[in-house]
Amino acid sequence: MSTRNKSLIVLAIAGVFGLLPLGLDDYRLHVLVICLNYAILAASWNLVAGYTGQVSFAHAAFAGVGAYTSGMLAVHLGFNPWLGIVIGTAVAGLAGFLIGVLCLRMGGIYLSLTTLGFSQILHIVITNEYEITRGTMGLQVPALMSVYSKTAYFYIMLAALIVTLLIIHRIIYSNTGLNFRAVQNDETAAAALGVNVVRVRVMAFTVSSALAGMAGGLFGHYLLLITPQIPSLDQQFLVLAMTVIGGMGSFIGPVIGAFMLNILAEYIRAYGEYHVLVFGLVALLMARFFPHGVVGLFKGKR
Amino acid sequence: MFPLAVTNGLVMGVIYALAALGVSLVVGIMRVINFAHGELFILAGYFSYLFAITLGWHFLPAMIMAVLLVFCLGLLIESTLIRPTYGHEMYSLILTFILSIVLQNAYLLIFGPYPQKPPAWISGSTHVLGLFYYGNQRLAALLAGTLIIAAVFSVLKFTWFGKILRAASQDREMAQFNGVNTTRLNMLSFGLGCALAGTAGVILAPVFPVTPSAGVHVALTAFVIVVLGGMGSMWGCVIGGLILGLVENLGAAFVSTGYKHIFGFMILILVLLIRPAGLFGRKEI
Amino acid sequence: MRRKYFTVTAWIALLMLVFAGTVLAADTIKVGVVGPRTGPAAATGKSFEEGIKLALDYVNAQGGVLGKPLEVVFEDTAGAPDKAASGFERLVIRNNVVMVLGESHSSAALAQIEVANRLKIPFIVAEAWADPITAKNYKYVFRAGPSNSGVVNETVAKWVMHENFKKAFIVAENTDWGLGIAESTKAALDKAGVEYDFLITERQSQDHYTELARIKAFDPDVVLAYIYGSGLHFFVAQAGETRLTPKAIILDGAGPPSLWPDYWKNVGDYGDKECFVSSMHEKVELTELATYFREAYVKAFDQQPTDYKSRSIFDAVLIAADAINRAGSTDADRLVDALRATELLVTRGTVKFGTTLGGPEYHHWMPPMLIVQWQNQEQVVLYPTEGATGKLSR
Repeated sequence: MSTRNKSLIVLAIAGVFGLLPLGLDDYRLHVLVICLNYAILAASWNLVAGYTGQVSFAHAAFAGVGAYTSGMLAVHLGFNPWLGIVIGTAVAGLAGFLIGVLCLRMGGIYLSLTTLGFSQILHIVITNEYEITRGTMGLQVPALMSVYSKTAYFYIMLAALIVTLLIIHRIIYSNTGLNFRAVQNDETAAAALGVNVVRVRVMAFTVSSALAGMAGGLFGHYLLLITPQIPSLDQQFLVLAMTVIGGMGSFIGPVIGAFMLNILAEYIRAYGEYHVLVFGLVALLMARFFPHGVVGLFKGKR
Repeated sequence: MFPLAVTNGLVMGVIYALAALGVSLVVGIMRVINFAHGELFILAGYFSYLFAITLGWHFLPAMIMAVLLVFCLGLLIESTLIRPTYGHEMYSLILTFILSIVLQNAYLLIFGPYPQKPPAWISGSTHVLGLFYYGNQRLAALLAGTLIIAAVFSVLKFTWFGKILRAASQDREMAQFNGVNTTRLNMLSFGLGCALAGTAGVILAPVFPVTPSAGVHVALTAFVIVVLGGMGSMWGCVIGGLILGLVENLGAAFVSTGYKHIFGFMILILVLLIRPAGLFGRKEI
Repeated sequence: MRRKYFTVTAWIALLMLVFAGTVLAADTIKVGVVGPRTGPAAATGKSFEEGIKLALDYVNAQGGVLGKPLEVVFEDTAGAPDKAASGFERLVIRNNVVMVLGESHSSAALAQIEVANRLKIPFIVAEAWADPITAKNYKYVFRAGPSNSGVVNETVAKWVMHENFKKAFIVAENTDWGLGIAESTKAALDKAGVEYDFLITERQSQDHYTELARIKAFDPDVVLAYIYGSGLHFFVAQAGETRLTPKAIILDGAGPPSLWPDYWKNVGDYGDKECFVSSMHEKVELTELATYFREAYVKAFDQQPTDYKSRSIFDAVLIAADAINRAGSTDADRLVDALRATELLVTRGTVKFGTTLGGPEYHHWMPPMLIVQWQNQEQVVLYPTEGATGKLSR
């Protein structure tokens, strides 16, 4: 598809999205905000999983880092939530950098286990230190605006998603992106050609976790309540499922996956809380038979 | 307090080690980590509950049948999900992770959220060494676990099958050259790994009733033990398991009950920082 | 090229269409109920369902509300504050309920009162006990059920003194309810001069051996266990194994866990002599409506009611219907005024909401609670003495 046509499509979609709040009620806007949040998470997780081949289980945890940092700063120190979110993003990025440096040397299974361990440690600490985090009871945080407006949040999350996609686009379609793909295809060859494998991975991991932190912070201040549910393995699974179903390793796949699954969840909700099971089964099938996800199906590959 | 914590630590350590043996076996032979390991542990618990309580069987055949079923399920999982992804580590990770979540939710749907308790083999409690009272079922679990671990070691060391396992674990290609059917071996070892998880499950379920999400902690602990002990090392599992059980329980008794589960992860991070190959592991990964 | 244009636009259109949906108009007045239909406290959700059914039968048999049938939409919150908040919002925005009732988890309720305040919808809390729920003095929030300080001061502390317990151990779960009621208990025991110690545990925890060792070392007469989950079952069972009981008496400070179907299965013989808090007992019927409730329950479900939460929600629905009828409209502020003027006979007594600002008595009606003991698998009321059917057995 030529660049001109691509840009036209992007503009059309952006236009539609921009006008949505005019026609939708608060509840549907709420669902869309959730979709946008997951889209940011899925797209940033995909940066590491789909493009560098490392399965991290700490993505939801980084979102939690962002959310709790911002939340606690707002509640205990009276910080402005916007400032809190910026700091939260930075802290999450830093955490990602440290963990990346720690285990990306070894990669593969060790990274997965370490990120799993990190996410569990974070969950336990948050739950136990309820004096400052209010643990499972939930931390009530202020909104991003003085008068709560779902429409405003919609635009904020939309902007965040656009920023995320731009950043990811920049990284992928640059020299670094080429390095990613080289590393993913054949690590030894890439290293032989002078690609600093570890540095490339650490960079991607840091950016990915910072974006997750941003999403977590924004979402926390949208819900007005931050709970240990945000950095939970269940959330990590949903992000993974959306990416896998949408299309891991593709640019738009995770976003599509996020929207599809969340809208679907709303319909399944009428029958009970079965949506995780349904997504799991679909994700299992997709990962096994259609590893390129919906996007792959669309493009005619398996 | 101290002797109680040590006893608890030994009981849990033995059970964890048993579960970790299953993981280690699969990792050593197939280089695959099964994230759904904990769910199979739990499934065996559910099955033994089903057979013993709902169908009214005696607890021993209930347990054996439960483990057998989990073994068969392991064979099924290997052939449908793992085998096609052989060589693509990332995919088997993702697949088993998704499987783990699917199973957890399936259990929630089928068995409900309440803890299900298979019947205890022995009730009451014993006055241990005149120091404290300790539940008999827990002591029975300690005994059973130790026996099974001893059995596994004997099989590995003294039987022909055990020799094949060790050979394939050390050098897969050589084993293949020597006529070992690695495809079937993969399937069998995966099934065995799951069966070991299941055995640990039926032993522990009467003490700590199973809930849909209880498997997560078991799997994570097993992974930590495998890393701590060294991937592919059986002795590493046992030593690692005991260490972890003791650290967890002593930590819970003297430091903080809330942070009980964190000690395992701290150990994981320490191992990865200092000696990623683990206590008895091979140098390369 | 054109095909891709078309397909993309078609996808977007499809998504939006699928997303659009229609709103069914029905001629009923809707009231929302929030509670744990799934999750570890799902048994409470089930009792809520039973209570709701009986309440709707009763209310609609009397002509409904404002001439229309009353309908209840029961939203699952699973005891999680985030689900609770979004569930509450969904009830208001999507289902257009005029009032929300229920909830049995304090943390969930605390999240929900914020939403109620923001959306200006009356919320009658049924079984979430934490004091701040009404202590925050939100105009739209009412409580027709126990509060932590109420339960402690009116029932638990008085019972401890009645039985002459000299040493108590407080075990609390790390939630708003657990921590709150522990604080109230400490204050009350201080005033009564009872010696006590205190530790924190998890609602779903399965291994209490370490904690029990500590408790045993303190040698208390009574253990006040504030655990609203299956953790209580294991606590009682393991207390028996470690021989803490029967010397010490355990009180389940929540109530429902001792009545859940799997209590005896998990606890075995060690469950005998355990005490628990309840607001219902087959032999103690405080009003004629309580008798009606029991008879209707037996007729509808073929068994005696045991979980008092079914009666709590029954009362809550009746209060809501009465308020709507007296307000003569579904306007939120009129409903609040009507609620403040409530003087209604329900199964647990006559409802009158407090009006004193500054504390948890604001918009709160405290129903009487009982202390019940399991004696040979029978429920025996120990306290208050006016309604007692037996004495404490060791």
